Amino acid sequence: MVTFFALVLGLAFGALVIVTTTPAVLDAWRAIFHGWNGLPHALNLTFNNVGAAYRSMFTGSVVDPQGLWHSITTGNGWTNTLTPISETLTYATPLVIASIGVGIAFQTGLFNIGANGQAVTGGIAGAVVGSMLHMPEIVHLPLTLLAGIAGGMICGAVPGVLKAYTGAHEVIVTLMFNYVTYAFLLFMVLSTPFQQPGQQNDIGRTMDHSAQLAPLFGTSSGLRVSYGVFVAAAVVVFAWWLLNRSSLGFDFRVTGANPSAARASGINARSVIVVVFLISGGLAGLAGVVQVASTTHYVDGGFLIGNAGIGFTAITVALLGRNRPMGIVWSALLFAALGVGGRNMQATTGIPLDLATVIQSAIVLMVATPVLVKEIFRLRSAATTTVQLATTGWGS
Amino acid sequence: MELELRGITKRFGAFTANDQISLKVEPGQIHSLLGENGAGKSTLMNVLFGLLRPDEGEILIDGVVTSITDSGEAVRRGIGMVHQHFMLVPVFSVTENVVLGFEPTKSLNRVDYRQATEDIHRLSRQFNLDVDPDAIVENLPVGLQQRVEILKALSHDAELLILDEPTAVLTPQEIDSLMEIMRSLAAAGKSILFITHKLKEVKAVADVITVIRQGRVVGTAEPSASESELASLMVGRDVRLTVEKTPYDPGDEVLEVRDLVVLDDRGLVAVNSVSLDVRAGEVLALAGVQGNGQTEFVEALVGMRPVQSGTITLHGRDITNLTPRQALDVGLGHIPEDRQRDGLVLSMSVADNLVLNTPRRAPFARHGTRNLSAVNENAQRLVRDFDIRTTSIQEPASSLSGGNQQKVIVARELSRSLEFLVASQPTRGLDVGSIEYVHRQIIEHRNRGNGSLIVSSELDEVLALGDRIAVMYEGRISGVVDPTASRESIGLLMAGHTTETASV
Amino acid sequence: MGLVSLVDATAATRVAIPVKNRRTRVIAVIMGLFGVFTVFVFGFGSTSGAHSSFTFNPINLANAPWRVGSLTVVTRWTDVVLGVVMVALATEMFLRRPRRGVMARFGFVAVLFLLGLLFWAARTPGPSPTSSVNITAILVGSSAAAMVLIFGSLSGVMCERSGVVNIAIEGQFIGGAFLGSMIASTTHDFFFAALGGLFVGGLIGLVLAFLSLRYRSDQIIVGVVLVTMLSSLSSYLNLQVFTPFPNFNTGILAPNLPIPLLSKIPILGPVFFNQSGFFYVMIVLVAVVSFALFKTRYGLHVRAVGEHPRAAATVGISVIRVRYINVVLGGAIAGLGGVAFMATQGQFQVGYTSGYGYIALAALIFGRWRPSGAVVASIIFGLSVYLSYNLVTYNVPISLYILQMFPYLITIAVVAGLIGRVRAPAADGQPYLRD
Repeated sequence: MVTFFALVLGLAFGALVIVTTTPAVLDAWRAIFHGWNGLPHALNLTFNNVGAAYRSMFTGSVVDPQGLWHSITTGNGWTNTLTPISETLTYATPLVIASIGVGIAFQTGLFNIGANGQAVTGGIAGAVVGSMLHMPEIVHLPLTLLAGIAGGMICGAVPGVLKAYTGAHEVIVTLMFNYVTYAFLLFMVLSTPFQQPGQQNDIGRTMDHSAQLAPLFGTSSGLRVSYGVFVAAAVVVFAWWLLNRSSLGFDFRVTGANPSAARASGINARSVIVVVFLISGGLAGLAGVVQVASTTHYVDGGFLIGNAGIGFTAITVALLGRNRPMGIVWSALLFAALGVGGRNMQATTGIPLDLATVIQSAIVLMVATPVLVKEIFRLRSAATTTVQLATTGWGS
Repeated sequence: MELELRGITKRFGAFTANDQISLKVEPGQIHSLLGENGAGKSTLMNVLFGLLRPDEGEILIDGVVTSITDSGEAVRRGIGMVHQHFMLVPVFSVTENVVLGFEPTKSLNRVDYRQATEDIHRLSRQFNLDVDPDAIVENLPVGLQQRVEILKALSHDAELLILDEPTAVLTPQEIDSLMEIMRSLAAAGKSILFITHKLKEVKAVADVITVIRQGRVVGTAEPSASESELASLMVGRDVRLTVEKTPYDPGDEVLEVRDLVVLDDRGLVAVNSVSLDVRAGEVLALAGVQGNGQTEFVEALVGMRPVQSGTITLHGRDITNLTPRQALDVGLGHIPEDRQRDGLVLSMSVADNLVLNTPRRAPFARHGTRNLSAVNENAQRLVRDFDIRTTSIQEPASSLSGGNQQKVIVARELSRSLEFLVASQPTRGLDVGSIEYVHRQIIEHRNRGNGSLIVSSELDEVLALGDRIAVMYEGRISGVVDPTASRESIGLLMAGHTTETASV
Repeated sequence: MGLVSLVDATAATRVAIPVKNRRTRVIAVIMGLFGVFTVFVFGFGSTSGAHSSFTFNPINLANAPWRVGSLTVVTRWTDVVLGVVMVALATEMFLRRPRRGVMARFGFVAVLFLLGLLFWAARTPGPSPTSSVNITAILVGSSAAAMVLIFGSLSGVMCERSGVVNIAIEGQFIGGAFLGSMIASTTHDFFFAALGGLFVGGLIGLVLAFLSLRYRSDQIIVGVVLVTMLSSLSSYLNLQVFTPFPNFNTGILAPNLPIPLLSKIPILGPVFFNQSGFFYVMIVLVAVVSFALFKTRYGLHVRAVGEHPRAAATVGISVIRVRYINVVLGGAIAGLGGVAFMATQGQFQVGYTSGYGYIALAALIFGRWRPSGAVVASIIFGLSVYLSYNLVTYNVPISLYILQMFPYLITIAVVAGLIGRVRAPAADGQPYLRD
């Protein structure tokens, strides 16, 4: 229920931003100061603009009802009709994987804010294996995915080990690692043999076909949604089993809910922390390589860059989905729709894509408050851990 | 000041914590509020001190109806509180703590520490409460910290002092000291409201005793009333203050501890070369005021704290410095001191909590996958056998009462086959019914021929349960006595005398 | 009844056995490794004829009445000596295991390391007075970074001392830089730009306070989400406002305001006395915050709220009010820092604050939540940030990108290696529950 209201509030906030930054609409509202009869015009313009923006978001991410009708009646144009959903799914696939990784960490009381850096590392590792090794697809693709997982694991292992053995607060370490990985990315695509041959720019090599995640309906269909969705589905099943049926997941949840009791009942906090970061990092890395393998097939200097990269969106998606696998799937779809729809909105109305991210953040802020208080309380109390590893706020 | 409470009622949802409570404290009087844990004393005090607002009733100060909206208001009216868990900032000095909120100031909003220190010296002299103003509070022993709390209240010109369970953390000698202070404060015209559940203290110092049970005043008494009279008032029926035990027939040594040295969180020695034995069929009660190393001792036994030197052996097998997991596997049962922090995961179900220590062991899990039907079956059985009151085994443990939460822990531990049981403050915060139940379980465990170590700061419990009683003081065993020893001699042992000087 | 002597139960008779402090030893080992690295890579790694030249004259004050000559040292031995000193300090710490001043020693060794790096980076095959490193220029350059970090860590001090974690400093920098650029570019008045920064930073702080205190959200999550949102917002507004109207983002820099006589002091004059107004404001701010926090009534209340909010509440201090005030003020300071960043870096670009807000947090921790410590830490971090960008002009054969990772790696090392010995304000980050 609250999620619904949060969505509404987020959209309202977005509408406000649209109004205040579109000159024509702003002028119309300013005209009210000259007389109340300017009000209908202002409202009209507002509804038109905001409506156009959100309508284009919907048609761009889900479906255009007119196009759908056309395709059903004439049997043609399915590509155009299905592209929005396909794009949303393409966008959502790596997002689901990364968010589940972040969600598992949250359930254990650990903040993996470095999912972005882990995704970058995974993407690089996967792209390297995919482009610089050559072998038949049946081996190449799994190897590429494994490389991505390994890359993310290595990147995630560092904050995990540091936290387990020195009590370093993982927020700062993971945040810093994000910046380290950006520099690493530039290094890789500009200074090493990984750079695209014949290119001076920051572009890495393109992956072989044998390493790519091919589109589900074939390249000729024009639909980008790839086999990556199966990977994502497998991850969801894995996460569900891990958290709800496995002993390891039980240990994770106990540690997240009450670290003291976890320790007293024999759970080895250190190994839990390291394992969680390995899993979380590995999943983020997998998300990175899936992203590369299913879309651009190469990494460049701008891969996942910025504070709105997939790793940060994953945090907000995980929160919205209450850290549970199914909830994460729905909220990832929602956020993907916002992102994809945002692109269409930018194309049709000229409103930049970043607005979509702003809306996303607004939604999450609304949700991250009352409803999640109880959930977050469990997270917060998880921060007062054992004698050796206390992180109340920052340190012991 | 003359304080009167008339018909104070406070409800939390459907639960009535205070039900029409009335009492009067005269100036210069030590009025004791006697009641069990959970009787409603803390709620009443929070109302008086402005931390809660009553649903019904009024508070009269010197005959005038007063409304106390927050603690600032209470202090302004002359009510001072010495809390059970001190309201002192550990890293601040005594001076900073005493003046907090009422600081004398110089120009530019600067705190006038010179003036503050002078004021503290004056108060110290006036009420005979010696303390070093520059000392950092966290480095002071508990008795001195309490003095700082008292000084703080006095410095706010308190006319009524509320002392909330002040003796929980004091040695008998410190308790005597505190009673002297209470008497002199009363003689100086202050009114004192002394809250406790300890019968002996009440008889020693109170002028008037009001007994409350389950939120209501059930009677007033004079200090000349007998202990059993007071106890009956407190619990509403004749209390059996002893538990039935089979004759003491110890077997071989089960647990041997030799020269154990354990450090506390700050790196100071908490357990100072302790040696003791526990035999099969025996309960060794470890008595002593909290804070003398018992907590660290227990933590070392169950693997939650590293051992600096010394050994612990169980049935001849060295179990020093095991991890908690290994300690559990070896057959150690642990009822932790802080059940909500260390013993339960409140947000998880009762069923999950009942297998918290052994979730991976068959039949609860196999090859890393949990067997939920086995877990639930186990929970049903234990809930039945141990009479745990809960609406469903899937309910979160937070929905259980304190007594039932403790029963979950007891059930969990005693349903495994244990080599040895370690229980720390097993009945803290429980109602009498639950206390009796837990005691019975422990004795039955002992009657079956098993060994256990019970740590408790409640002298009655120690005397009731222990076949032998070891007293711990400042990290050492100051003496081992049998349950026929007098309370006085045990009290002396708790204060650091060794058995030679403590023989009575 | 046997003789009973009344034991004074209040005498503390615990024996303090010194703890084998493993962590101090680990840090000592790291320090030692730095020292060994300096000796062998910087010292013996230089050819025997290599010299490093340093000048100390300010580049833009031509009429300095005093000029200091340049200093030329033999690279090898200077670095060897530096390295040996570092190893000596490390050994002392390893053996003596002091419980205080661990971080101060580490900081000192870090500075020596950076010096050694500098000597090594500036070396020329033979003594060559023409290619020399201008120390004053380096100090002036890094003072800009340090200044921004000081603003950020002061903000952290204000917030965390009252018990609220402020991860959103990065976001406040972004906001301050954006709004500051708009105002400064149009009005050419940095005073108004500063006011804008204060406003925006305070506003963000208000949101953080509102969500954390009223709704008791997790402060870290709220902070991270706020930064994400502000970053996207700034990117969006950059496209909407700055791209079509570049006159809002001219890249105007704040002019330096040299203090007449003092700025001509050799070596350090330009560093301290020939800076923009923001620098001087920063110095005043450090003094004011230190004074307020440790000498005044207000500061005592703040610290009490951060350590033991219940104790503060029972003497009538409003925990929520104190936290609101501090978080908003802290936010304002960070916003001002954002303007200061823009005033010394120039044109606003998306993402150009590159994590300074998080480095400021590390400086806060390194500085043990005290303004004085935060200043020292910020100086060290500012130096390393500046060097990482500028060492490339000297022939340092390390890839540019690896160098740029350096400040972030140092931050991780600080947080990982040293955090165990540090005490945050006890209630830091915990939501306050009223009965």
